[in-house]
Amino acid sequence: MAGITIAALSTVYPNGVRAVDSLDLEVADGELFALLGPSGCGKTTLLRTIAGLEGASEGVVSIGSRDVTRLQPGERRVAMVFQDYALFPHMTVAENIAYPLRVRGVAKSVQQETAVRTAEGLSLGALLDRRPGQLSGGQQQRAALARAVAASAEVLLLDEPLSNLDARLRLEARTFLKKLQRELELTTVFVTHDQAEALALADRIAVMDAGRIRQLGTPREVFQRPADTFVANFIGSTPMNLVPRDDVVLGVRPEYLAPAAEGLFTGSVSIVENLGVTSLVTLDCGEDQIGYIVPEDSEPSIGAVVTVGAPAARVLRYDKETGLLVR
Amino acid sequence: MDSSGLGVRRAVAFVAPALVLIGIFLVFPALWTLYIGITNYQLTGPAAANPQVVGLDNVLEAVRDPLFTNSVWLTALFVLFSAVIGQNVLGFALAWLLRSVSPWLRRTIEGLVLLSWILPSTVVAFLWFAVLSRDTGTLGLLLGSPETSWLVQYPMTSLIIFNIWRGTAFSMLLYTSALAAVPPSQLETARLVGASGWQTVRDVVFPHIRGHVLTNTLLISLWTANDFTPFLLTSGGPNHQSEVLPVLIYRQALEGGQLGYASAMSLLLLVGNLVIALIYLRLLRRRA
Amino acid sequence: MSPLWIVRRIGFYVLITVVLAFFAVPMLWLASAPFDTKPGLGLRWPDWTFANVSATFDHPFTLSSLVNSLILCAIATVVTTVLAALAAYALSRVRIPGRDLLLYLLLLLSSVVTGTAAMVPIFVMMLQLGLINSQFGTALVIAGGMLPAAIFILKDFVDAVPRSYEESACVFGASPRQVLSHVVLPVARPGVATIFVWAFVNAWGNFLLPFLLLRDVGQQPAAVLLRTLYDEGGSANLTVIPVFSLLYSIPVVVLYLFVSKRYGFRFHGGIKS
Repeated sequence: MAGITIAALSTVYPNGVRAVDSLDLEVADGELFALLGPSGCGKTTLLRTIAGLEGASEGVVSIGSRDVTRLQPGERRVAMVFQDYALFPHMTVAENIAYPLRVRGVAKSVQQETAVRTAEGLSLGALLDRRPGQLSGGQQQRAALARAVAASAEVLLLDEPLSNLDARLRLEARTFLKKLQRELELTTVFVTHDQAEALALADRIAVMDAGRIRQLGTPREVFQRPADTFVANFIGSTPMNLVPRDDVVLGVRPEYLAPAAEGLFTGSVSIVENLGVTSLVTLDCGEDQIGYIVPEDSEPSIGAVVTVGAPAARVLRYDKETGLLVR
Repeated sequence: MDSSGLGVRRAVAFVAPALVLIGIFLVFPALWTLYIGITNYQLTGPAAANPQVVGLDNVLEAVRDPLFTNSVWLTALFVLFSAVIGQNVLGFALAWLLRSVSPWLRRTIEGLVLLSWILPSTVVAFLWFAVLSRDTGTLGLLLGSPETSWLVQYPMTSLIIFNIWRGTAFSMLLYTSALAAVPPSQLETARLVGASGWQTVRDVVFPHIRGHVLTNTLLISLWTANDFTPFLLTSGGPNHQSEVLPVLIYRQALEGGQLGYASAMSLLLLVGNLVIALIYLRLLRRRA
Repeated sequence: MSPLWIVRRIGFYVLITVVLAFFAVPMLWLASAPFDTKPGLGLRWPDWTFANVSATFDHPFTLSSLVNSLILCAIATVVTTVLAALAAYALSRVRIPGRDLLLYLLLLLSSVVTGTAAMVPIFVMMLQLGLINSQFGTALVIAGGMLPAAIFILKDFVDAVPRSYEESACVFGASPRQVLSHVVLPVARPGVATIFVWAFVNAWGNFLLPFLLLRDVGQQPAAVLLRTLYDEGGSANLTVIPVFSLLYSIPVVVLYLFVSKRYGFRFHGGIKS
């Protein structure tokens, strides 16, 4: 078991694009770490550079105390689950799971034993003789995880582990993944573009943009105090209200706003969207649109004039020029 | 870093054997055509041992040679009627019509069309002798005129019909896969607004498969222009009436022994091929 | 069902019938003539006999020419498939300097330089190398002609194999050789099989090159012998020709059935729209 240390790492593509730009990062031993960002932000490239599938142009990648920057992927003791799972279509589930051992020339009987044991652990026991094409999406994902687990690597890398599953299955798989990681206590880095996934799964999140880290912190920190307007926009299932006021931009999450006698914003209700147990209400306040969340059965009627406010600690101020959080 | 972990040096070693073979048997002959084409090289006689460079005389002579101009004209007719029109139209019609027939009928017709494409050319020649020959030929019996010797009396028409039969499979396959890529929702939209079959083809299908039509037309034109099978059916006769370019080149080179002169004509065929291929690649690039 | 609809339906099936007849009628000869007591160049209900079959087997060159075809074909097909597979894999996965230009030239070559257009220099070259009547030499010429197209079709296949398969194997420590034998070759097998069959059918039916380069009747493959049977002695040998045509066609038909059953007769790339 080992943590990952990344120092001044850059990955530059032949066309000159700096996909990862002099980036520093430390992932603790046993941590479940998320790389979060929009597509093209460099998060996948960073993951692939850790795996050794992309060459680092500058900087150092260490796993534990070993400098692995110049090592081949197979020599780094990492395991990876790809977005499309990359289960070999011509091999059975058992052969797929045992593949890391086969490459190392481990005895057939040990391969078989490990495959069975690992598959049992991921409730794949009944599927060992199937081929990947005969599995459902969720089963394929678990088979790919099982193969990575069987590699008994020091670091587990997951590229968009849940994106190929449909919505309902995704929740199930998310819980399963977190439970598995807790049991294995394996240092795990996963890439995702879905902020809800990152918030739900990760111990810590790095929000990335343009090859750099915009904010690094626990899910709570990132959600409650986004370091800049980019992160503020990106995190949260309903977008944060960002309203220019005097020389700053006010940032308030819809979840923290509630009707109040003396409030921040006043406007007339234009739209009510039902989110299940809550509803999102949109207020027209002159030029600005303000969203806030109300519990079920307490929605205002359209056209009603409402004033909303939030606890002072939940109202963030961002610099108008730089977009950075004003402390 | 490449996904295979192969590295450039090993990759070059993988490609090299194929390139060597292509270089010797394809590139070198093509370039050598240039050289032989400007000599008076002959299969036998004094010019065989010691060919003289005669410059562009061969090319100039070819252009003035009525046999050559006749041959170019026949090749153009052959390509236009059998490939550009015949195979193209029949291939598309089959691809379009066979979507709406029962699966077994569809498989039967597709199977026959494909079979006519893959049977060896020498066998196919006999199949068509049996259709077109005098007295016993099937066509004569069907039309009630067994005394007609179709390959002698109508050699070019026979070759054109033959080549439509022989080559339609490719167009059919290509258009079938092209039609599969037309979004069904667009075809259904056309049906909902009451478009006729022809209107659907013109307004919905054709815009989608324009690229395929171009690809198909150029490829089958190239193949037809370079097809040697007419030699097996008519050997260019009677009296040069079906002597398309490949047949003329063969007869000049191996029957007449005029290697230099035949090379000059090959050269003109190569240039023709090159022009078609460059047009194709040009259009392909522009679309890409 | 309006009358118009019925008329169109009838017209449609008349059209289908005509097309069916156009493609089927020439084939019938191959079913009737080999088993007719008096086979001719025409179609008639046969007066059944197997005498032609034994006459064909008694002919001095028929069986040996089929063996020649097999040898010629085997060499050309194996050379084409192996070299094309190696080249396609490397070209698909590694950015060799000048790769795009090379691919462009290959595409150009495969369409421009045909056996017909280059027959004179190929003949002269083989004549001067003393390779006239060499089956091996002829097989290499055939392979050289098929290679560019084969590389193209196979490269499309390999391009369609997700790189994550190889990367995955790589991360688990597989060497390039292991990646190739454990993952790439098994996954690309349909492509390799397609090229194998394609090359075989092409080489089997090739007439021009063996006709040019194999002048000795003992070396000739079936394609050329069939022509010789038609020309020799001024009249066609109609006892042997039909049965021999049938024998010579069988491998192609069997392979076609195999491919259409196993993979379906579809376009596997190669032809970009």
